[in-house]
Amino acid sequence: MRDNKKIFILVESILAVMLILLVVRMFLEKGGESRYQIAVVIQNSDSSQWASFKYGLKMAAEDRNMELSIVSTGGTLTTEEEQELLKAEIARGADAVIVQPVPGQETGEMLRKMDKKIPIMLVVCPASEAEEDAALPVTGPDNYLAGKTLAEELWKDYGKNLEGKAFGILSEDGSSQAVVSREQGLREVLEDRGAEMRWSVSGSFTEEGGNILKSLSKVDFVAALDDRSAVAAGKYSAANDLHGALVYGIGNSTEAAYYLDTDVLQCLVVPDGFQMGYQSLTELTKRLEHQFQRAKSMTVACTVLRREELFTEKNQELLFTMSQ
Amino acid sequence: MKNKHFRYLKKPELWGIQSTIMVVFSVISLSILLILGVVMYIRFSASARQEIVSGTQKLMEQAGENLEDYLVSMRRVSDSIYYNVIKEKDFSRQLQEIQQGMNLLYGANRENLHSVAVYNEYGSLMAAEPVVLQKEDPNITRQGWYEKAQEEMENMHFSTPHIQNLFDDGALRYYWVISLSRAVELTDNGSSRFGVLLVDMDYSVIERMMRKMNESGSGQHFYLCDSNGQIIYHNRQIQISNGIGNENSVQAARYKDGVYDEYFEGEHRKVIVNTISYTGWKLVGVIPYSSFTSGLFSLRYFFGIFMLFMAMMLVLVNRIVSVRISSPILKLNDTVVGGYEAGEMPEIYIGGSQEIRHLGSSIQTSYEQIDRLMKEIVQEQNERRKSELDALQSQINPHFLYNTLDSIIWMVEDEKNEEAAFMISELARLFRISLSGGRTIITVKDELQHAKSYMNIQKIRYKNSFSVKFDVDSAIYSFCTVKLILQPILENAINYGVAGMEGAGEIQVTGRLADGFVILSVTDNGMGMTGEAASLILTDSSRKPQHGSGVGLINVDSRIRILFGKEYGLTVLSEPDEGTEVSIRIPAVLYTEENRKVLEQGYLPGKEEAAYEG
Repeated sequence: MRDNKKIFILVESILAVMLILLVVRMFLEKGGESRYQIAVVIQNSDSSQWASFKYGLKMAAEDRNMELSIVSTGGTLTTEEEQELLKAEIARGADAVIVQPVPGQETGEMLRKMDKKIPIMLVVCPASEAEEDAALPVTGPDNYLAGKTLAEELWKDYGKNLEGKAFGILSEDGSSQAVVSREQGLREVLEDRGAEMRWSVSGSFTEEGGNILKSLSKVDFVAALDDRSAVAAGKYSAANDLHGALVYGIGNSTEAAYYLDTDVLQCLVVPDGFQMGYQSLTELTKRLEHQFQRAKSMTVACTVLRREELFTEKNQELLFTMSQ
Repeated sequence: MKNKHFRYLKKPELWGIQSTIMVVFSVISLSILLILGVVMYIRFSASARQEIVSGTQKLMEQAGENLEDYLVSMRRVSDSIYYNVIKEKDFSRQLQEIQQGMNLLYGANRENLHSVAVYNEYGSLMAAEPVVLQKEDPNITRQGWYEKAQEEMENMHFSTPHIQNLFDDGALRYYWVISLSRAVELTDNGSSRFGVLLVDMDYSVIERMMRKMNESGSGQHFYLCDSNGQIIYHNRQIQISNGIGNENSVQAARYKDGVYDEYFEGEHRKVIVNTISYTGWKLVGVIPYSSFTSGLFSLRYFFGIFMLFMAMMLVLVNRIVSVRISSPILKLNDTVVGGYEAGEMPEIYIGGSQEIRHLGSSIQTSYEQIDRLMKEIVQEQNERRKSELDALQSQINPHFLYNTLDSIIWMVEDEKNEEAAFMISELARLFRISLSGGRTIITVKDELQHAKSYMNIQKIRYKNSFSVKFDVDSAIYSFCTVKLILQPILENAINYGVAGMEGAGEIQVTGRLADGFVILSVTDNGMGMTGEAASLILTDSSRKPQHGSGVGLINVDSRIRILFGKEYGLTVLSEPDEGTEVSIRIPAVLYTEENRKVLEQGYLPGKEEAAYEG
């Protein structure tokens, strides 16, 4: 009689435990629908140069079932502003962040500290060339190679003879590690082949900046090392304010492509923004889903665009991502 | 070998009624529940799948109709421009009117259109709306839509999405369009010429339609491809072109309208194909089997929880039912088992259903009958034993009385009055002890007194031809003994031992306590007997006594064994010409009134079982 009671209590207990486990699992799975939240902090986020990057992020977020939050930033940021934005995003529940770092070692230090709390993925380039900053994963183009590729294209256009040619360099932010690497790659090739750099100017090249460009000495060609400077160079070249210098650029906006299409830019090296967005988010997702796996640095390809090949099927897809 | 495997399997113990009822009920009810659950789950999941497929089909039909409406409207625009604006007008003379007509139609369809344009056979622009700058050298004749229109002049042609690279509106942007082209007959300067009418449809309209469809689905996705499987819209279009993803669009383009099962890149999926009229485009809906499963997750959990809850309830209900059914039977069983264990008349439980009550009453009646019968048997046994004892004791008195009275008569005749008086007084003492108020158990002291009186009488009768010696440890005086057990032994010792020894006969009565037993011995130095004869004294009851009272040692032995138990009684040791020793072995039980009563009832004090058997 007593044994029966024990067995009855045992059976009921086992069934109750199973029931509770099932209910808990059901709620956990329902809860599992709440995705990881990934915040993205990029400078001048509304700029068209980020269109393909943001499209890549969006596609990856859909594929990986992630919640994406792209912080709207009006222009360039300081380290402190970037830090504040990151803190605010983390406070809002971000599980990981994708950051375009503000150039500088202090940014690197700040990001390294933050990386101990939540996973961080840098995009485009590291914060500085300091060795410690290489510890943080970066998804971006090989900037040195991009500069070098641009120089190679330029060299080909000049019949592989650059002796005595003068060139100038434009960039939005000369302290950016991306620009530094691109310039290094570019100058190594051009100066090695006899070309002489007359000037290297950094700035936003608004109306006021445009006046600076007009006042610069005449060169045979201008290399714009980022999208904003490529668009600015295209604009001023179209207005004939660059003293007839040919313009070569690195960029990934439809504006930059337009200036290529209208023959203002001779050549455009386009880092694959879609891949940068897609890969960076995918890599962070892997890191979030596997706690002990470190996010790896990823290099995205650069495409050389020429006017005559602008509307090939492959390049149309590139333009499609830029047009989103 | 087989036994080796099975030797650990214990033979199951017999289950109780409650366990049996509960297990049987539980197994049956849980089996039914399980079968029902599985059948219901299969039925529900099948109908849920069917529901999803038919829901997707309906959605696709609706979306296909919307898409067809849109494409038909674009074709109507093309028709209107051609037949109402271009066909009957001369481009050289009526360009203004043509432009106005195109403008009107463009304005009416601005939301769906990106541009309309007419080119001649050399690819030169004849008219366009909206009026914007044509790009430098767009190389019209090499464009796909132009070539298609040239190749199949009787048809309208829909291109795949592409960048519109004909006009520069100064917005520094690129627009995605689907080109609807057709060969047209133009009139320019009075002569008829070949031309191509281009209607660039805004791709974003189709994109919006498809995106809306994709947002409505859970797990499934929809895409649009042309008749060659070239993708027009796919929500992972760039991933597919970058090799991150893949789509079986070429195969889907070969399917006719309907629902297909396919296995693509390690995934089973249902593919629903709907052809868009005129264009040959295929609207494809893909439902991976995994999405069916994910959709059924909550259903699975619901069934799992329902089944577990039902199992809990069933076990509980089964327990209550089994307890209700088995409780009276178990109570009845407990009272029966408890009664047996206690060795008492159990109070049988009478309760529960009519049948159980009847069973209880029957058992109760049986018990009462058994109890009554047992009491009767015990009483009968006691009475029989007592009558046996009384009969045995009563055998002594007539012999002894006759012999003694004979001796007294003889003394009176010889005028030995003193001796006769002594003998009569000894006889009186002897009878006092013999009677003992009807008791069977007396003290050893009284028994010895009885023996002495008897021997005194016998000595007178036999003219002191033998001597008697009593050597008894006084410690045994206060123990119990059966009365009149020494006298028959002494009688035998006289008759068969010392009767004819002419004054040399000696009888010695000894008594001692040994190992918790009282040992009384009567030893004579008479003629003795062989060991065989000695062994027959206590076993051969058929022997006729030659002398004495006729009450043999068997009588004494039987009485001792009746009252004290079979392990007690007489032992006879004898050697021819040496003598005989008869020993009595009885338990050392102190004489108290209580012990006496217990012994007389046939029990040994301190022991529960009766001393006698049978």
